[in-house]
Amino acid sequence: MLLLDEARLDRHGQRFGAFDLRVDPGERVALLGPSGAGKSTLLKLMSGDLAPTQGRVLLDGEPVATLDARQRARRRAVLPQSHQIAFGLPVELVVGLGRWSVSAGEGDDRWVRQALAWASAGHLRGRRYDQLSGGEQARVQLARVLAQLADVECGLLLVDEPLASLDPGLQLELLDTLASFCRERGHALVAVLHDIQQALNGFERLVLVRRGQVQADVPAATAALPALEALFGLRLQALATPGGGWALSARRMEVGA
Amino acid sequence: MDAPLERLSLRWPALPGWPLALALLAAAVVVAANSGAISLGLADWQALLNGEPTQGSMVLAQLRLPRVAFAVVVGAALGLAGALSQGVFRNPLAEPSLLGIPSGAICAVALMLTVFAAWAGGLPATWRPFAVPVAALVGAWVMCGLLQGLARLLAPGAVAGLLLAGLALNALAMAVVGLCTYLATDEQLRNLTFWQLGSLALASWPIVAVLGVVVAGALAMSRHWGQALNALALGEAVAAQIGVPVARLRRVLVLVLALLSGLAVAWCGLIGFIGLLAPHAARGVLGADARRVLPLAAWFGALLMLLADTAARTLVVPAELPVGILTALLGAPVLFVLLKRAQREIGGGW
Repeated sequence: MLLLDEARLDRHGQRFGAFDLRVDPGERVALLGPSGAGKSTLLKLMSGDLAPTQGRVLLDGEPVATLDARQRARRRAVLPQSHQIAFGLPVELVVGLGRWSVSAGEGDDRWVRQALAWASAGHLRGRRYDQLSGGEQARVQLARVLAQLADVECGLLLVDEPLASLDPGLQLELLDTLASFCRERGHALVAVLHDIQQALNGFERLVLVRRGQVQADVPAATAALPALEALFGLRLQALATPGGGWALSARRMEVGA
Repeated sequence: MDAPLERLSLRWPALPGWPLALALLAAAVVVAANSGAISLGLADWQALLNGEPTQGSMVLAQLRLPRVAFAVVVGAALGLAGALSQGVFRNPLAEPSLLGIPSGAICAVALMLTVFAAWAGGLPATWRPFAVPVAALVGAWVMCGLLQGLARLLAPGAVAGLLLAGLALNALAMAVVGLCTYLATDEQLRNLTFWQLGSLALASWPIVAVLGVVVAGALAMSRHWGQALNALALGEAVAAQIGVPVARLRRVLVLVLALLSGLAVAWCGLIGFIGLLAPHAARGVLGADARRVLPLAAWFGALLMLLADTAARTLVVPAELPVGILTALLGAPVLFVLLKRAQREIGGGW
């Protein structure tokens, strides 16, 4: 579905790539790496926000960056890192704008209600976005993205560290919502994450990024721990939990050890 | 904005409000037309409707009505321009006159009237009435382009960056106007002062008709463009991600902004703050949805302009104050309040 073929990017004097990646429908991929490693840039290449200077980034066989904006929005949605919106728009309007590519965001009330309910944000209807708390704003943005891809199949959902500033309970809840939404529709989910434990438990595949390169592309299992240790310079230990997940403990790698 | 008002605004029925608003505007038009150096009344309107050439009906038909209609369309144009500019620049303080857009228009007009006077005088007679509006439009448009570039260069996305860019461009445009003033002959100088002070004294039906058509066209598109502004409020990147053709849309909206702002300047000079007050009032009443803010800002602009111009005509009878000075006196304190609020919302570091 999404194919990066020798995709390179030169930006602000930095070089990224070459990236060779393939994401299939229904896959859940976590992008991990230290700050400034190029995770967000890789995600922007995938979303078509940036066009590669060399190589190709194809969505369903077509170059994603030059696809018609409306057509592209029917196949891939992006949950951004920052949730700022100018002016105090009403919540329903923000979510309704997710339907722009279908209906210019008007008269799609059914999907708006549904998406707000999926994001557990039904109670926020009638409120002004700028008067919501950070967590509530995150729910509304999630609902906007869900509304965008609610009635298509095998789309692509890209998520850029949207949860970093939220409390742990909310982080897990929103990730679960995203995962089950994608599973039901065969959407691929690609998320930039900081939390290794979340990546290990909620995703199938880890793409480790460092210095603008993909350092490793491994299944999300304990076998990935050595690669993760090398990536972050940490000593990691995973313990199986009764629920079938992993609890992770991390220690700083001692210098010279 | 406080909570009760907000809840009220969401339940506000979309349609029944508009007949009421139009009735209010019509009433204001009648009051404004009646007041002036000579007070008019019901009898004069009757005479006008019956086609009797009394003194009162002549004053009404030839002086007051064109003037009042002009105030309405200019006010609507300024209100719309303000709402568009705030939306396009994603900034609640992005009033065209604060950003220097009218200054750009005046600068172009001043250049044409002085430095390029010989060239403009050589135009065919049928083109000459269009020379000033076209120059103003081009000036406003160039200014918008410079603003977008400069603001992006200085501090992308910051409220202050845009205003500072506007400050610099304003100063530059005014310096050029000053240079033109220095070079101008006595007669050219009198003309230039007209644009710098702002006045509705040029009112005439052809001008009202042209500006009226532009305003009506913009109002007809306000639902479509309003939703586009709503999408831009999410941020340019997000707007592109949901499928909005951002670059094309910005070009269209900026051109409309330059058209409204430039035409208003061409025919009545620099009139500030209407473009700031009207959209803020509109958002206060109906909330921030730009599909509603655009028409309501036009309405508030028309009403404010009507009040200001009537005051300008009547306060120092038989003389007349330049209305631009009045709106500035009225608007500057409001700007101060809005600046305080923006500072509170954005924090100390803006």
